[in-house]
Amino acid sequence: MNSLKIILIIAWRNLWRNKRRTLLTAGTVSLGLGLLLVFLGIGDGSHRQMIEGAVRLGAAHVAVQAPGYQARGGIEQTLSAAHVERVSSWAQSHAEQLGITEVLSRAFASGLASSADGAAGVRVIGLQPDLETEASAFDEKLVQGKFLTAAEKNGAVIGEGVARKLELEPGEKFVLMAQASGSAEIQSLLLRVAGIMRTGLEDFDQATVLITLPTAQQLLRLENSVHQVAIMLDRLDDSEEAAQLAKQDLASGMEVLSWLELMPELRDFIKIDDGGSYVFNSLFFVIIAFLVANTLLMSVLERRREFALLDALGFTPTRRFILVIVEASWIAFLAVAAGTALGYAGHLYFYHKGLPLDLFYSSEVSAGGTVIDPIIYSYLAWTRIAGAAGLVFALTFLLALLPAWRGAKGQDAHLLGQI
Amino acid sequence: MSNRNSDSLLRLEGVSRHYVQGDQIVCALEDVNFSASTGEFIAVAGPSGSGKTTLLNVCAGLDHPTSGTVWLGNRDLAELNRHQLARLRLEEVGFIFQSFNLIPVLSAEENAEFILLLRGVPDRERKAKVRALLKEVGLEGMEHRRPGQLSGGQQQRVAVARAIAAEPKLVLADEPTANLDTDTALSLLNLMERLNREHGTTFLFSTHDPRVMQRAHRIIHLLDGRIESDQRVEVPQM
Repeated sequence: MNSLKIILIIAWRNLWRNKRRTLLTAGTVSLGLGLLLVFLGIGDGSHRQMIEGAVRLGAAHVAVQAPGYQARGGIEQTLSAAHVERVSSWAQSHAEQLGITEVLSRAFASGLASSADGAAGVRVIGLQPDLETEASAFDEKLVQGKFLTAAEKNGAVIGEGVARKLELEPGEKFVLMAQASGSAEIQSLLLRVAGIMRTGLEDFDQATVLITLPTAQQLLRLENSVHQVAIMLDRLDDSEEAAQLAKQDLASGMEVLSWLELMPELRDFIKIDDGGSYVFNSLFFVIIAFLVANTLLMSVLERRREFALLDALGFTPTRRFILVIVEASWIAFLAVAAGTALGYAGHLYFYHKGLPLDLFYSSEVSAGGTVIDPIIYSYLAWTRIAGAAGLVFALTFLLALLPAWRGAKGQDAHLLGQI
Repeated sequence: MSNRNSDSLLRLEGVSRHYVQGDQIVCALEDVNFSASTGEFIAVAGPSGSGKTTLLNVCAGLDHPTSGTVWLGNRDLAELNRHQLARLRLEEVGFIFQSFNLIPVLSAEENAEFILLLRGVPDRERKAKVRALLKEVGLEGMEHRRPGQLSGGQQQRVAVARAIAAEPKLVLADEPTANLDTDTALSLLNLMERLNREHGTTFLFSTHDPRVMQRAHRIIHLLDGRIESDQRVEVPQM
């Protein structure tokens, strides 16, 4: 205990023998950690915004579908009214625990929209307008007209690209045709454009038609069946737990998918983006690591006589080894404290003010099947901070091994006689 | 293997130390044989480069002989690893160097108590002992000064206090008065002599200072790494 105390004291005071060097080293590491946290915050923030953006444009935090629908997307692969009722009851009973905000029924189909001026292949989404306006962002993407209402049975909101191809304006009529479920028969409906939307997603805007769920069920002859029950949550972080619970409870006759399974393109994009960030951050830290390793080694080499003295006084090689490790740990401690404060301050700035991407891009950017918001807001989880701080500690410890070994080795007795 | 002469605290048998310097072999010590008994006050004299410092380093296991054996008590130093040697120095050997070698980040008191602290002596006992020692070496009131705030003589007194605080069996002193003025050197010698007399501590110190040699009970003369003479001196009874 006493020897640990003296090691801690010597190590701490040694740091301040060369204040400038210590501050420069700790400053470099803390700046690195601070920037890492800011990068992580912006990266994670952008990913969350992308996920939330996708969820709010027709996806879900957790989706319940007929088994095999995700893989094949067959129009006849539906959930019955009884299934929908089961999912709703389950959601109601877990609403508080999982922060479930909405349960939305949807129907999907491919179809052909045609007007007097043209025709276009479209993806039809049948939805519950009153509930969707609470949970989705379709209504926020309107550029002309108004959103659907439950009462407006023949209304449709169409993508900007569809409107352009069919030369449609709000209030104008078009015909929507689709194959009915369970037969080869083509059904058609005369619809009136209620509104035109622009999401920024090229594929979406070029080929999407939103209609009410009852209208879609009528068009597709689905009776009361639906293709998907979308469960919307208050917090994205709860989606995995919610999906797991739903998988346990709703397994029979239904397939439960988390957003990761529902949007594999987005999941893969985030993986690739994270991978790129890890490579960049690693390179960044390798450069810092060389600086720190150099400083620690120099600090030991210029104190060879002192280490020889410690050796002569009976300070064992193990204690000398620990002394250098503790010195490095003090630096790491200072750097982590300052770096975390710096990184958190940066995170808070970007959390409130956001990083305006429109400074770099003149038009909307989409990736992984979702639109990247023009302003990225930082999101930094405590686990990220702990992980980054742990990385700095681990790295400093590793970097200190060589200098510590050198300090422990001693064998510089000849220096003791030098003045 | 054990020390054949069990009365001797320190025994060197045929010790040589050769260094390779460039393409030359330097003989720092050549076939050195001597033993020191408990309570002796021995000066190792000789001109610069005669091997005095190497001899002290070899005696403490800080340097390893090219050939020959060094016994400290009944232990052959060649058979001990670096950890065991450090432990042995901690338990049994005190060091005083010519260039004051204190730990620069510790105060006078912390330097003096360093070895006691490593030995795990309880706080109260350690502090009391060290304060008494610092008072004895004339450093009362300077306990909290760092080495940089002490004169050369004061630093050397701290080094002496550190060396003797743990009551080692053997104190090795490498030209302890080399950088001290006459008064300080004499007072340091008085202190070492008193410790030798009162505590039976064995002192082996290198010097080429005639004032120091006058006080030694035994003088070993080294020249070019060899013992030229080993004389016992009649010490007047105090």
